[in-house]
Amino acid sequence: MNGETENIIEVKDLVVKYGDRTVLNGINLTVKRGEVFVILGGSGCGKSTLLRNLVGLMRPYSGQIVIDGQDFTAMSDEERIELRRRIGMCFQGSALFNSMTVGDNVALPLREHTRLEESTIQIMTKIKLDLVGLGGFENYMPSELSGGMKKRAGLARAMAMDPEMIFYDEPSAGLDPIVGAGLDMLIRKMQSTFNLTSVVVTHEMESVKLIADRVCMLKDGEVVGLGGLETLKRLDHPFVQQFFERRPDEEGGDNAAYLNSLTGTD
Amino acid sequence: MAAVLGYSGRVTLNALYAGATVCVLMVETVNWMVVQPLRGKGLRLRSTVEHFVEFGVNSMPIVGMICFLIGVIMAMQSAYTLQKWGATIFIANLVGVSALRELAPLMTAILITGRNGSAITAEIGTMKVAEEIDALQVMGLNPTKFLVVPKFLAMVLAVPCATALAMFIMIFGGFVVGVYVLGIDATAYFNQTALALESKDLFTGMTKSVFFAIVICWVGVYRGFQVEGGAEGVGKQTTSSVVTSIFLIIIVDLVWTALFYFS
Repeated sequence: MNGETENIIEVKDLVVKYGDRTVLNGINLTVKRGEVFVILGGSGCGKSTLLRNLVGLMRPYSGQIVIDGQDFTAMSDEERIELRRRIGMCFQGSALFNSMTVGDNVALPLREHTRLEESTIQIMTKIKLDLVGLGGFENYMPSELSGGMKKRAGLARAMAMDPEMIFYDEPSAGLDPIVGAGLDMLIRKMQSTFNLTSVVVTHEMESVKLIADRVCMLKDGEVVGLGGLETLKRLDHPFVQQFFERRPDEEGGDNAAYLNSLTGTD
Repeated sequence: MAAVLGYSGRVTLNALYAGATVCVLMVETVNWMVVQPLRGKGLRLRSTVEHFVEFGVNSMPIVGMICFLIGVIMAMQSAYTLQKWGATIFIANLVGVSALRELAPLMTAILITGRNGSAITAEIGTMKVAEEIDALQVMGLNPTKFLVVPKFLAMVLAVPCATALAMFIMIFGGFVVGVYVLGIDATAYFNQTALALESKDLFTGMTKSVFFAIVICWVGVYRGFQVEGGAEGVGKQTTSSVVTSIFLIIIVDLVWTALFYFS
């Protein structure tokens, strides 16, 4: 709205609760236009919740999310529709509509949001599918695709409206290293070709090394590290170091306390 | 004591919340069915027609067969008593009036609930588990417009059509027993049926069927959106959908019967 702001997404003091349980406790971060921003963290740290809030699938308890200068959190559902055309999201399970072919899946946003002719839509569908390496798969049903192919189809659908921002929820989850690396290269290719701002939630370290411009690490609903990958590796925070070194939690502990808990005497 | 109060408080709050969700669903459905198309935001006609075929046309074999058999059963049951007075011709009255007023609308609604109401819940529930509903929202597409309105329109058109056919088939069931088993003259049976029926019977039956359709669709959809937690959740809500649907159908039946025949 106010020209080209450098920070396309700003999160200010975001607090998200599920009932009484606080999942995100005052998150502050910014995403620069055109970068690949990775959100890292252990299981249950709130990274998927953060992503869901960024795309507006959840409303926060308090705090603000500003997307391209507009206060996303304060918008009504109708106002959000305009902004949502500029966003694409790749879900963890690809979330393709199982009742439609891959081609119809990719064409859906075009058919609903634009008044383009059917022939034009068909051409654009083919272009998007070629982009992700699924050229020729328009008439396949989602159930006929492998996991990696489904994710690519999901990405093609997210790209259908030529968005400015794409959100990825655990893109490499459940994929073998080769296919996963292919998807990472695709994310990088999208970013460099289209200057797409990409926000990726993941916990795969190898992916992060390949794709990240900046990284944010979450633990227990708080930001424990924010910056470039190298900066973060040198950060003197115990959890950050443990995460990067892939070190498991210490086992053992107080033997007497354990015995008591087993025998029920205490 | 505190536990009892707490429990009843929670139940009340949950019921109010559920009521609010249902009201929102109803408003949204009417919005996307009537208001938005007038603003040029379109209706998914192809999806509506596909659902109509599934709800109305594909249900007819089972609805037809069951209603025929019920007509037969009614004729046989009434013949048992009427034969004693040589008054078997009145089977035509009994079957005709019951079919139009009560049994055809009710049986059609219950069968379509079991068949299609559960399918609606399972479909929407599975989509919810697979994050497809989230995907719709993120793309800026309204799930009500996409999923609910086609089903709603199709149901409201299909159930009355199926009911009308069911009424006819049920009378035919009675006819078969009356003419071919009890030896009543075919023309006499036909004329007696026509004499017994008034337009009020047809009108009340058809009105009820429209409201049954509304119940089936909205309960099915509501339960579908309630699904959480994977396959078990889908199963649980699907069962709940059919049970709630049938219960509400009977309540609606009671209300309309009271309004038409008891006030």
